[in-house]
Amino acid sequence: MRLSACNLVPSLAGEIRMHIMEGFLPPLHAAAWTAVSVPFLVFGARRIVRITREQPQLKLLLASAGAFAFVLSALKLPSVSGSCSHPTGTGLGAILFGPSVMAVLGAVVLLFQAVLLAHGGLTTLGANIVSMAIVGPWVAYGCFRLARPIGLGLAVFLAAMLGNLATYAVTTVQLALAFPDPTSGFAGALVKFGGIFALTQIPLAIIEGLVTVVVINLLIRISGDDLWQLGFGPRPCRVTEVTT
Amino acid sequence: MGPSDEQAWSNRWRHHHPGERGLLAGGLLLLVLLLPPLPTAPLVLVVMTTAVVVGAGVPLARFARALAIPLGFLATSLPIIALSLELSEGVHLSLSPDGARRALEVGARALAAMSCLVGLALTTPMTDLIAGLRRLGVPQPLVEIMDLMYRLLFVVVERATNARRAQEARLGYTTFARAPHAFGLLIGALLTRSLAHARRLEIGLAARGFEGDLQVLTPRRALSARRLAAVSATLIVVGGVALASLGMSS
Repeated sequence: MRLSACNLVPSLAGEIRMHIMEGFLPPLHAAAWTAVSVPFLVFGARRIVRITREQPQLKLLLASAGAFAFVLSALKLPSVSGSCSHPTGTGLGAILFGPSVMAVLGAVVLLFQAVLLAHGGLTTLGANIVSMAIVGPWVAYGCFRLARPIGLGLAVFLAAMLGNLATYAVTTVQLALAFPDPTSGFAGALVKFGGIFALTQIPLAIIEGLVTVVVINLLIRISGDDLWQLGFGPRPCRVTEVTT
Repeated sequence: MGPSDEQAWSNRWRHHHPGERGLLAGGLLLLVLLLPPLPTAPLVLVVMTTAVVVGAGVPLARFARALAIPLGFLATSLPIIALSLELSEGVHLSLSPDGARRALEVGARALAAMSCLVGLALTTPMTDLIAGLRRLGVPQPLVEIMDLMYRLLFVVVERATNARRAQEARLGYTTFARAPHAFGLLIGALLTRSLAHARRLEIGLAARGFEGDLQVLTPRRALSARRLAAVSATLIVVGGVALASLGMSS
């Protein structure tokens, strides 16, 4: 079966996809970002090895979640500007699975994307992991925990929106560090890359925030036990209240 | 992107040892990253294209289509690199020959590197790459999760396609306000079904005495000394030619 099933992978003109492509970063930068990502991956991998040793059936859950995350990132987000884009899924992933597991799951998804969809690359895998599987999820998770007491909907919205924006901010910094402006240096490059991506990315981040709220509300309504199984929040009583 | 997976299972190199392709793509990738892009990148692009199209029998059109996927990224980022921004005396953009040259170099390097990635992806099935990762020391549970993920991926893709089509048939994405809501419902439905699927697999495996390891058979394939020699010779020639042309120009 082909992955290109009509709607999933859109025509490529005007597609906004912030994975840094293969070979785009200079070798030193590629190596440095890979080195940054390694401790997070080792930590997350150890955790996965430990929990799957205690409960081997979690392998199926994690694989299922990974396949879901891969497909999620290939779906077309409802567009605002006519160009099409995809959700990063960092917010939803971090809320559901927690950021340390997300680092590994995200890294695997990025590897699959590079090989199966030619999005991203092998030498730039480290840089993409840092922005999409580490910083994005941690920011989202932090926002979620901080804003949770105010209200679940707001917390989910902020987590998904800011997680998305953080991902793009990190990519912008990565590109600006790699390609400083010849006259105005790093700051100039940051303005240039940031300017272009802010225009397209802020509306998309808001849409991703809204979509994630719909997802979490739906999950609470129809499958509270799934959320409970995933360790969503400390108080499952709220969930059962709604479902019964 | 469909072409890569289908092609990976049906090309002429399918039954060769994946390490040979890994060495070719990985070696060329390193060369193009480490050596100056202007003599190296076009050389790598040509060598990789020839190897994949003539050697593995991948249709040129498929290779080119896969190579063109990140063109959108290049089209937005290369102008940013080429244009230089003045901040000190008022804000204005200018195009310098230096910036244009740098953008050209980065673009050439990225395209050549992309050809290595696409070349590997079009000739090597994901399962072979995952088996390679296991040899490189990725822990066993992770390897199993990746194998399972690859297996489940196609199920989820089909499910997503069908669900989206059903939504569109019921006017799901017609208005701007309705679109995010419909999209959220799609994601939620996919997630719950994925989890339910995982649970069914779990029960099925438990019924068959699952004890924690998912063993798979990896077909044994011998490394061919002849092909390894050819790959090494290619790498040496590409590296040598790039260095020589560099020496001549300086």
